[in-house]
Amino acid sequence: MDESVMSIITRMIAVADLEARYLTIAELQTIRDFFEAGQQRLRIANILAANSQTIINTGTQRFWERCPVTPSNSGNPTYRASCIRDQGWYIRLVSYALIEGDTKVIDTVGIRGAKEMYTSLGIPLKNLVECMHCLKEAAMDLLSLDDGMVAMPYFDHIITGLTP
Amino acid sequence: MQDAITTLINSSDTQGKYLDDASLERLQSYFRSGEIRARAATTISANASTLVTQAVARSLMYTDITAPGGNMYTCRRYAACIRDLDYFLRYATYAMLAGDPSILDERVLNGLRETYNSLGVPVGATIRAVQAMKDVVSDLLGAEAGKEMGVYFDYIASGLS
Repeated sequence: MDESVMSIITRMIAVADLEARYLTIAELQTIRDFFEAGQQRLRIANILAANSQTIINTGTQRFWERCPVTPSNSGNPTYRASCIRDQGWYIRLVSYALIEGDTKVIDTVGIRGAKEMYTSLGIPLKNLVECMHCLKEAAMDLLSLDDGMVAMPYFDHIITGLTP
Repeated sequence: MQDAITTLINSSDTQGKYLDDASLERLQSYFRSGEIRARAATTISANASTLVTQAVARSLMYTDITAPGGNMYTCRRYAACIRDLDYFLRYATYAMLAGDPSILDERVLNGLRETYNSLGVPVGATIRAVQAMKDVVSDLLGAEAGKEMGVYFDYIASGLS
């Protein structure tokens, strides 16, 4: 299948194309639902974008409470800044995936090779995963229950993908 | 393959940015058009073979091309023509759903003109058939959805010419 970033729509088209057929009624219904939920997804993505700093700050504090011995909390400003920057990247990826209704962008940009990269940088994966848990919790605190349910799977996808 | 969503995400990701207001605006209008797109795709898939038949009847059937010596003469060639028009319709429908023509470049147009030329398929007649398909599809779907489908038929026609 196509290697590029996908939305729920391009993914379904790619599958139908492999079988040289039109989309089924059920697939079109899924797409219709996705279109309908589009406004909500855009709104949630917007909330995450507008509050990314708050989410990162809360998430980082919580992370350091749970994992005090970790490179970003060692007093080294570069490590600290990198940790914060990467958290921002993951929130951005969640906002993309939310809009696309598909996790491929998270895989392509944020998961594939990530474990190897962080390991080679000396970041304990266990701590990284804890950090993502904290990021997710901080985001959930900001969102309504309804919005949270929509966004949560994408955070979970990151957590699963980075778990050693 | 791209759609209206992934195009914007890709360019934002390259810059490491969240989607800006203009992009969000475009996505909102794409999402708002979803009902029309999904309904149009349903109608087209239920009527695909009729649409192709009508398009051929309107553009090619009663011309020299189906007579001895023409490029649609012999059933085998006729069938090949029908098959290609079927492809055009299906891919135009995909592109309409996606709100983006890139799948047409990737799966249909890339190398098509050269292939047709080497097989002696008359490109002018093909374009007439695509335009006829645009008309019959628009008759079936109505003005709004017909116009959206028309964008992708025009894209195929201009990619061939």
